[in-house]
Amino acid sequence: MIAVIPRAKPEGPLRPRERSVAALGMTGLLFRAMALIALVVGLASFAVGPSRAETPDAALAELLAHARAKVPAACTQANVDRLIKILCGKKIRVGIRDYYPLFATRAGDKREGYEVDVALAIGRMLGVDVDFVRVNAATRIPLLAEDRIDLAIATMGHNTQRDGQARFIRPHYYRSETTVVGPRELPVVSMIDLAGRTVCVTVGNGSNAELVSQGARLMLFDEAGVLPDRLKDQTCTLAAQDDSFFAKYFTDADFNARYFQKFGFAQVPWGMAVARQGSAALARALDLISQIFHRDGLFIDIGRLHSIRLGFLRQQQEVWRTPECNTDAGTANPKCVLPPLNTALQPTSFAAGVTTFEQWVEDGTGIDLTLPMLKTAPAWSLFRDGVFYSLVLITGALAATLAFTLVLGWAMGSRTFLLRWPARLLTMALQSSPIVLTLVIAATIAHGLFALSTETVLGAAIAALGLANGANAGQAVGEAMWSLRAEGVHGGLFGRALNRASTQIVAFLVNAAKGTPIASFIGAPELLSSLTDITSFSSGRITTYSILLIFYTAVVMVVVWLCGRLRLVLEQRQAAA
Amino acid sequence: MNELMQLLSNDFLPKFLAGMVVNFEIAAIALVIGLALGLLLAAGRLSGGVATAVTVSIISLMRAAPTFVVMFFLLNAIPRDATLFGAPFALSGVMTVALSLVPYSAAYVADAGVDSLRHLRAGTTHAAFLFFPNVTRAFFVMVMSSSAGAAIGVTEGITVILRQAEQLQSFDDRLVLFALGIVLFGIPLQAGFMLMSLFQRRFGRSTVEEEASA
Repeated sequence: MIAVIPRAKPEGPLRPRERSVAALGMTGLLFRAMALIALVVGLASFAVGPSRAETPDAALAELLAHARAKVPAACTQANVDRLIKILCGKKIRVGIRDYYPLFATRAGDKREGYEVDVALAIGRMLGVDVDFVRVNAATRIPLLAEDRIDLAIATMGHNTQRDGQARFIRPHYYRSETTVVGPRELPVVSMIDLAGRTVCVTVGNGSNAELVSQGARLMLFDEAGVLPDRLKDQTCTLAAQDDSFFAKYFTDADFNARYFQKFGFAQVPWGMAVARQGSAALARALDLISQIFHRDGLFIDIGRLHSIRLGFLRQQQEVWRTPECNTDAGTANPKCVLPPLNTALQPTSFAAGVTTFEQWVEDGTGIDLTLPMLKTAPAWSLFRDGVFYSLVLITGALAATLAFTLVLGWAMGSRTFLLRWPARLLTMALQSSPIVLTLVIAATIAHGLFALSTETVLGAAIAALGLANGANAGQAVGEAMWSLRAEGVHGGLFGRALNRASTQIVAFLVNAAKGTPIASFIGAPELLSSLTDITSFSSGRITTYSILLIFYTAVVMVVVWLCGRLRLVLEQRQAAA
Repeated sequence: MNELMQLLSNDFLPKFLAGMVVNFEIAAIALVIGLALGLLLAAGRLSGGVATAVTVSIISLMRAAPTFVVMFFLLNAIPRDATLFGAPFALSGVMTVALSLVPYSAAYVADAGVDSLRHLRAGTTHAAFLFFPNVTRAFFVMVMSSSAGAAIGVTEGITVILRQAEQLQSFDDRLVLFALGIVLFGIPLQAGFMLMSLFQRRFGRSTVEEEASA
């Protein structure tokens, strides 16, 4: 059997870019040693494994030999496969990131990182130089389509949406996951421990929705870069972000001593990618190379050099060493390769109309209107639920405020000491507690008494908003009762006191309606929570939050109007009395 | 309870007091901006004609805008690299919370300002001066409302309490800590309200005398 292995480039000294490998200790000698080991492993597996024609090594050798046979004759032909072009030019253009610690960083001409060394190893396999081209999250796929790079190795998650834009190389060369990081002593081991806790995340992170569904409160930040600092200054007790992001920080002894990766979720395989057009042979060659790198542990060796997490790579090595996968057809076997992350969202039946409307607005006004909540089924469902729960919350908060106004007002206006003073003390405590704290206390008590559910959270929020506002309005009613007594009024005292305190009652009813969005802080699934979830997987933040502001302002204005009517009725009653 | 005592014996109080300073800072910023904007709106409301109608609409909208939603709107609508007249205009957490309180603050100042200006025109100076205790009351309300900053990572008083609470395992300990938070917030708040009530009563008495003599 022929073992296709990383080998030293036949011509000339190492180029500066390639010296990054040497700087890390992975010298040509190391590659030769690994080549020897791979050769021995290959020969051994030849003795016990599949026949020569079925091995990925043989398939790769055959593919490369076939391609090389066309060089240089095919070099001047148009529309030849990129593999031929790479062999003709003796270089492969690899799109890579400039700053992604441990994976790809650049200091002057020197590049370092897991992805850098993977690219160099691929260059060696193909027997060509590697030209690195800087890419970022926005440019890595367009540059492939524009034929400005041959291959992207740029921390790119493989999902169903991107599958239509680039040809992903499988097996995947890494897999990241969202990891929850917190102080070592904090007893958090799984998702269920997050209920009621605040987790710091970045806006737009795809795993936010899952955290919210487990009852976690999200604290949103624009950039991941601030999360470690917010952990250190204790702004955040827990932070959730891609584990590849935190990998660098865990190489710091101090950070590692204080914090721990509690658990991971939302795994995403990372794929190298080539253009969908004109890269069939290149993609096939890279599939086989990736398969061989996994089987022979080269990905693990490179990963170890850069201190990245090796769990996935070790797991993949096991997979690609099995006889079922260690064949030339292994990369097409669903039992061997991982599927892309399914991020395709089902569009709503009226999504096309919404897009047309957005375009019409932009053409007419120049305003870039984006309505993500109307375009996909999950977003539309979240939006509808958010509006519904907001209305439930507002109605409930108004009813609870009115109820507590009556009860506490009656108690505070009572001549009985045992009724009056507990009500006064409760009112004083509620007046001294910021509404955020009152909500958290209500949620803590609710979680202590009942299982976590939407109803529990809504109930706690309604009770907290009702108590906070009802206590103030009740105080006004109580004071009105005492003032009426002082004026010598005795009959129908409570009704008259309600009339007299109507302005304050209305003011605190409006305040209760205005305060309902704060319930999102304890995880109530109202519109603010829903729209935050929607923006975590779609664009259009400005439009989304503008709609939120308009919705709540309009609802409060309706409440103000209704309360105005109520006050009018109460004042008319007072005048009649 | 031992766990709570141990936690509190560390540096809880200095951290909490530093957090409360942030609450007062946010309220002060919101009040200063609200005073400038609110007095303009009050003047507009008293000027008559179209200006009054426009100003009344603006004040109604500002009164109806929920602070928490305004805060999230500012947080998400203003790009991190935004500029104003060529200068960077990225809002800090404290400024985001303070600006979210401005609609309330400006609407309140406008309402109180209109009353005050009317009293001044009527020659009841003492009643006009009730503007100051009213604005101070709004300031204390905003000190309490600034705790919304806990939702976006601003290290104010409630944030400190919630962080400490997350370290506690016992349900009872958490409730005790929350009660302590209410007491610590309540002391300056109730003291402030009592002072304002005293001030208002004195001015109220003077106002009655002034109106009687007018």
